[in-house]
Amino acid sequence: MPATDFQGSSSPFASIGRSILSLRRDQVHSMDGHHEPGSSQEQELEGFQRHVADLFQDLVGGEELLSLRWVRKLLNAFLICQEEFRVIFFNNRAVVARAPLDRLIAEFFERSVKALDVCNAIRDGIEQVRQWHKHLEIVTLALDPGLKTIGEGQLRRAKKALVDLAIGMLDEKDSGSVLAHRNRSFGRNHGPTKDHHRAGGHFRSLSWSVSRSWSAARQLQAIGNNLSAPRGHELMQTNGLAVPVFTMNLVLLFVMWALVAAIPCQDRGLQMHFSIPRNFPWAAPILSLHERILEESKKRDRRNSNGLLKEIHQMEKYIRQLSELTETIQFPLAEDKEADIRNAVQELSQVRESMKEELDLLELEVREMFHRIVRSRTEGLDCLSHHPE
Amino acid sequence: MERMGEDGEDKLIAVARHIARTLGRTDTMADDILHIFSTFDGRFSREKLSDDLPAMSSLERRLREHVSSDRPIWSDSAAASAFLSALDDLIASGDLHPRADDLLQQCMLRLEDEFRALMDRPAGTIDSGDEEDDSDGEDRIPVAHPVPDYDIIIDAIPPGTVADLHSIATRMVSAGFAKECAHVYALSRRDFLDESVSRLGIRARTAEELQATPWEDLADEIARWVRAMNVAVRILFPSERRLCDKVFAGLSQAADLAFAEACRGTAIQLLAFADAIAVGSRAPERLFKVLDMYEAVRDLVPEIESLFSDQYSSFLRSEAVAIWKGLGGAIRGIFMEFENLIRRDPAKAAVPGGGLHPMTRYVMNHLRAACGSRHTLEQVMDDDGGGGVATVDHDRPSSSLAVQIAWIMEVLQANLEAKSKVYKDPSLGFVFLMNNGRYISQKARDGELGALLGEEWTRREDARVRRWMTDYQRGAWGKVVAVLRTDGGGGAGASVKALRERLRMFNAYLEDVWREQRGWVVTDERLREELREAVSGMVVPAYRGFLGRLRAAEGGRGVEKQLMMFSVEDVEARIGELFEGNARRS
Repeated sequence: MPATDFQGSSSPFASIGRSILSLRRDQVHSMDGHHEPGSSQEQELEGFQRHVADLFQDLVGGEELLSLRWVRKLLNAFLICQEEFRVIFFNNRAVVARAPLDRLIAEFFERSVKALDVCNAIRDGIEQVRQWHKHLEIVTLALDPGLKTIGEGQLRRAKKALVDLAIGMLDEKDSGSVLAHRNRSFGRNHGPTKDHHRAGGHFRSLSWSVSRSWSAARQLQAIGNNLSAPRGHELMQTNGLAVPVFTMNLVLLFVMWALVAAIPCQDRGLQMHFSIPRNFPWAAPILSLHERILEESKKRDRRNSNGLLKEIHQMEKYIRQLSELTETIQFPLAEDKEADIRNAVQELSQVRESMKEELDLLELEVREMFHRIVRSRTEGLDCLSHHPE
Repeated sequence: MERMGEDGEDKLIAVARHIARTLGRTDTMADDILHIFSTFDGRFSREKLSDDLPAMSSLERRLREHVSSDRPIWSDSAAASAFLSALDDLIASGDLHPRADDLLQQCMLRLEDEFRALMDRPAGTIDSGDEEDDSDGEDRIPVAHPVPDYDIIIDAIPPGTVADLHSIATRMVSAGFAKECAHVYALSRRDFLDESVSRLGIRARTAEELQATPWEDLADEIARWVRAMNVAVRILFPSERRLCDKVFAGLSQAADLAFAEACRGTAIQLLAFADAIAVGSRAPERLFKVLDMYEAVRDLVPEIESLFSDQYSSFLRSEAVAIWKGLGGAIRGIFMEFENLIRRDPAKAAVPGGGLHPMTRYVMNHLRAACGSRHTLEQVMDDDGGGGVATVDHDRPSSSLAVQIAWIMEVLQANLEAKSKVYKDPSLGFVFLMNNGRYISQKARDGELGALLGEEWTRREDARVRRWMTDYQRGAWGKVVAVLRTDGGGGAGASVKALRERLRMFNAYLEDVWREQRGWVVTDERLREELREAVSGMVVPAYRGFLGRLRAAEGGRGVEKQLMMFSVEDVEARIGELFEGNARRS
């Protein structure tokens, strides 16, 4: 068969970005892609380990933990790891189809598919936060810091938006009962709180991409199932390639776990144990991040939160503050009260501003992660299947 | 309250007003309280307390009456227009007094409720105003039913209600309540869209669930999805756009916001399904369904782009395009998997009699069917992001699809050649190759597949079949004919004895070959004839010549009856019985 008819002109190394369709001709025919277990491959593997460690070390230090910026940085770290893994995979494609590496890689791809559902649930979660953001906009619009005086009317509008927002932010399990008590009373005399039916987040929006019974906690467990560090014989049999596969598995699991921790999604649950032998250079930063996020989730004011995102925390805090202030308000406003209100609104405005753009970017990046996982898996499967057993 | 100097008094007066307003449930009561204040202290003169009140009070009284009504205002059109005109008066007065502003805000909250009630009012009960109807209105959200023709628009809300909604929306937007209004609108429409899409048989599914779904079920789901996608993009969303543009006529920003918020979830849900299918299994039988999806999305992209052209929906535009490309990738993946399956099809089981292999039949028919979507497939293959398959061989068709198909044919042929080696008798292997080769070239001769592979390809395929035919003749009949060949030139003819011995051998060979090859199969009638003719052409003249030499050697006497088992005609007849397969004999 004239394999050369189909070969691209560039060398396989330069062509990582090319689609596998054009590359596979080489794969099918060049069975000599075997790597000498020499220095270059070892260097490549070690470099990957170090780089993963650096990326996660950066996340320990840099941006404020669990802020939107931090989450985006986490995604970025994931994408870089994924890309480097892809290169390693490709450079060693002649051996990936051999047992037991083929099995390890197939399992990794299985986990990837599970991660896709997490990506979708997170996308819905971002949409959820965006809904809250809309109410936040109304609050800060009603009590615009530029207003000379705060009138009762503005306050009433803000209070209603606050109630909507608070209901929207209730965890799903609590919200059902609120919705069940929809009250379409028309009179204002029942007080504003009775009128919030269907206010806030539209809870159904949580299941655009996942069914009602889907559980983020269970999904994470499924991704983490049977995930253990490679044993001695596996290292031998795979030329050491079991290590990057394990690394990528762990990175995938941790990133998904952290996303679920940060962003609202269906049936969150953070009970997950990461067993990573300390001799992996990236073990320390990842375990440290895990511990700190877990700590955050145990804090009293965060325990019932539907996302550990720093911005959600701030929203909750100032909303509570503002609600308490407006609850007991007397007109005319006392000066100190008014100052407190203005202060809380100021803070909320800042949260609102900082969230707006970041949310959009995060959404795009979650989609990018989705597509990259798909692409890497597709190419990987092609690689595996192109090697005749 | 800017300056402290007058503040004390201002505040005092404000408190007095506040008390009057809070305690005074009606205007008369408030008025009475203010009167009491004014007699209490000089600072509370009627003028100061009520500097702007007299002008407000009648307007305020009218508005407050509406705002505190327990009945929906819009259940009575006269009440509704009275309310609106009072509200317009309030807005027109340009009164910035806190009290007027508060009233305005209260009116807005009330308008929001009225707006919601109108949005959710079941279509059939336009003027009922019956509150009981409203209490369970949600169960009767009007929904779109499947329709055969996409060229329709749904009017989910009756025109009268739309006009009412518009009158409310205008006031809310002008008072700065655009976000609230758009939000209420969107929530209601979202329910409608959710419900409509679920009636079309679409529900949220994860990629994992879809992977676990049996293909037959999934095929049904895909068919439903294609329909739902068309209904959504050609009917539901345009209807939503139209409704939105009516309710928010002249308020384009609010309209865009409301529309984007209303449709986003449904659109994402629909697209997510395609995403999940695109990453799913790549079994060849999926090709046609995924092609359906690809074509559906491709054809809808222009409409999606124009529907969601507003600033709030750019995400959906890029999503739709990404998913379109993703489905293209899935199709390429299916082709690749197809090729892998062919390559890996095990060579163990030989087809009895060297007949047509089921794989050949499957592959060729699959490809022919696939080429029914040639245009789409060419698009898909050309869109292979890498652009790697650039080398153009002048002997070969050059489109990516053509290259792809030619490649699959090569993989098929390589696999068939491996399978032909399984036959113990190499000649049978050649028959097997001929059978399959002829089938391939016939299937590839016409139609889109033929056009893609090109004449040159078919010619080469035919040449291969001819070569196998020659190989077969040489392998299966070489020995037979060799027996008949008397060493030319040498001695003046071999001895009679030797010739007789050769005839005996010929008889045995022919008998063997006939017994053996009678059971072999050549499925194509023309090929069978060609093959028989070729064999006859090789054997019969040789046999006739041999008999002539034998007779000559016998000195004109006839050849012994026992020795001459076959006349020339018998030999022809035997050859004519070859390749019929066992079935015919049983």
